[in-house]
Amino acid sequence: MGILNQFTTPLYDQLITSFENTAVPANDDLTALRSNAFDLFRSKGFPTTKDEDWKFTSLTPFLAEDYGFSSSDIAAEELQAIVNEALIPGLDEWSLVVLNGIIRAELSVLPDAALVTVQPLTKISNTAVLNDYLKISAEDQNAMVALNTALFNDGYFIEVNKDVVLDKPIHIIQIYTADDNALLQQRNLVVVNPHAKAELVETSVVVQEAGLLFVNSVSHLVVKENAQLVQYKIQNNDTSERLVHYNHVTQERSSRYDNFTFSLPGAALIRNNIDVILNGSATETHLLGLYLVGDHQLTDNHTAIHHKFPHCESNEIYKGVLLNNGKAVFNGKVFVERAAQKTNAFQQNNNLLLSDKAQVFAKPQLEIFADDVKCSHGCTVGQFDPESLFYLRSRGISEESARKLLVEAFMFDVTQRIENEALKDYVQALIYGKMENSFAEETV
Amino acid sequence: MLSIKNLHANIEGKEILKGINLEVNAGEVHAIMGPNGSGKSSLASVLAGRENYEVTEGEVWLDGKNVLDMKPEERAREGIFLAFQYPVEIPGVSNINFLRTALSEIRTHRNLPQLTAKEFLKMTKEKQQLVEFEAKLANRSLNQGFSGGEKKRNEVFQLAMLEPKLSILDETDSGLDIDALRIVSNGINKLRSPENAFVLITHYQRLLEYIVPDFVHVLYNGQIVRSGTKELALELEEKGYDWLKELHDAESIHK
Repeated sequence: MGILNQFTTPLYDQLITSFENTAVPANDDLTALRSNAFDLFRSKGFPTTKDEDWKFTSLTPFLAEDYGFSSSDIAAEELQAIVNEALIPGLDEWSLVVLNGIIRAELSVLPDAALVTVQPLTKISNTAVLNDYLKISAEDQNAMVALNTALFNDGYFIEVNKDVVLDKPIHIIQIYTADDNALLQQRNLVVVNPHAKAELVETSVVVQEAGLLFVNSVSHLVVKENAQLVQYKIQNNDTSERLVHYNHVTQERSSRYDNFTFSLPGAALIRNNIDVILNGSATETHLLGLYLVGDHQLTDNHTAIHHKFPHCESNEIYKGVLLNNGKAVFNGKVFVERAAQKTNAFQQNNNLLLSDKAQVFAKPQLEIFADDVKCSHGCTVGQFDPESLFYLRSRGISEESARKLLVEAFMFDVTQRIENEALKDYVQALIYGKMENSFAEETV
Repeated sequence: MLSIKNLHANIEGKEILKGINLEVNAGEVHAIMGPNGSGKSSLASVLAGRENYEVTEGEVWLDGKNVLDMKPEERAREGIFLAFQYPVEIPGVSNINFLRTALSEIRTHRNLPQLTAKEFLKMTKEKQQLVEFEAKLANRSLNQGFSGGEKKRNEVFQLAMLEPKLSILDETDSGLDIDALRIVSNGINKLRSPENAFVLITHYQRLLEYIVPDFVHVLYNGQIVRSGTKELALELEEKGYDWLKELHDAESIHK
């Protein structure tokens, strides 16, 4: 069946034809990497529910349509207006505008080039720095990453120079446009050099009259010795969007990486993958996630933290609120290798089900091969505590406000961790706005 | 003010209240006493609108309004306040945000102007002083990290903030040491006025030494079996509940 499945997807056939027609014969490393990656995709096909990592998330309904591979352009004034709208109110930020994977420098406001290098990824094609990461993913046997490697059009390359502490976050504004159904694939690379510190905030906007947008993107983030990177991803999407994203992080000695992933109700499919490889001792990693899933949406978060050296600490909190017919998947893997003594790994996943039609599939997964470690994980699926709800209402608070207060309270563990106040306000306003809409829909 | 007529209520199909009649007028303090399982807390819950109780018969009126038709929040806005026997801890909901939301919704209902942030803080400070509740509220979650006594005092503080007509205190005295009991009682005595009324549900006569009731009722087996003045509480203290039980059970047989 697995073999048959991949051929029944029209997109699979389209991709085979497209790759064979467009591949330019050349002798460079990139061409070879793309070709190898494509062979991997060709043999594996799109993941199916037979793959352990895709057990609860079937791509089939999202691949039923025909997709093109070309984006469309957009008028300069319109683009400027979109960018203005996308800026986060009250946030003092640098901005990097990326249209369909291509950097638009004229619309971006970037820090001094002496501090940070920002370039199109294709500018560093065939350099060792990029090829290393393209190779890693090919070995990973991951079909979606392989597909991206074979066909990504471009993306951004950001390199924060040694010892540079960026004064404000870089807001990456991703804009996608296409005239019809489109599969867009982008590849990004971020390197934070030793002792440097940076914050990235990523949001996206889709400008599309009609059709569906499937985005399969891959980012590599490298946090070098004693460097710090905070990455915020705000997924506030449209129902026409299907997103599969891989975030591949490597951390070197004494570095710190924080990832915040906020998935709001919107996209029909969100599949986030975060892999963190700890390639040195005394690192610190924080993965924080909030997902709100409504309508018939499916939000799937897969994370994996690989502890390979001693004295590393990882902390993960993912919280989900499920509305309507929403479905969520959480899989959090923590691997502690034999050498990773004195590891401190904490993981927590809590889900609040606000509809009897909503579903959650939660799978914490700890594999520990070291004997002197502190590791814990916890996972809950629950509803509003009726006693709390009654307590609030008995003080004159309407049921609606009481529910809102309890949802805020539920998400508090994560929202309180956002250190940037303007960003915290922005994210909270987005969440509460979406919650109110969803509550209103439910009571109708 | 409050008029309860032949109130019957079930929980999970079991009849708990079996025909309660009670009139409470403005300015009065009523104590409801009775042995464990007699239905005291159930009465408080039914009045506040706890949803797992089913009222099968009877009426409850508050100043001419039908209480049983109202949602819990509407009852609160109309002026019913229940001080919980077991106040709930709600991590993540701040004390201040909770109070502000409650007060705002109540004031909207009562056609009172909203308080400014400054007025609200001033009121919070004054009422905290009034009921001698020193616990820090800012940046703390609702009842979280409060001791048992602090939780009970927080109930009385909320009562002071929300200024209800009718306050029902469900065993607010239980679990309090003598100092805490004195403080809580002082607070309540300061809040008494000719416009409001209190129903004290208690297991012990001890509370009534500090808050002197106008009437004492004894609840047994879902009914008020005896009503009197504060002397009745003393009599109960002396003789225990058994003589009343025996008396009542004997009467029931004769009926």
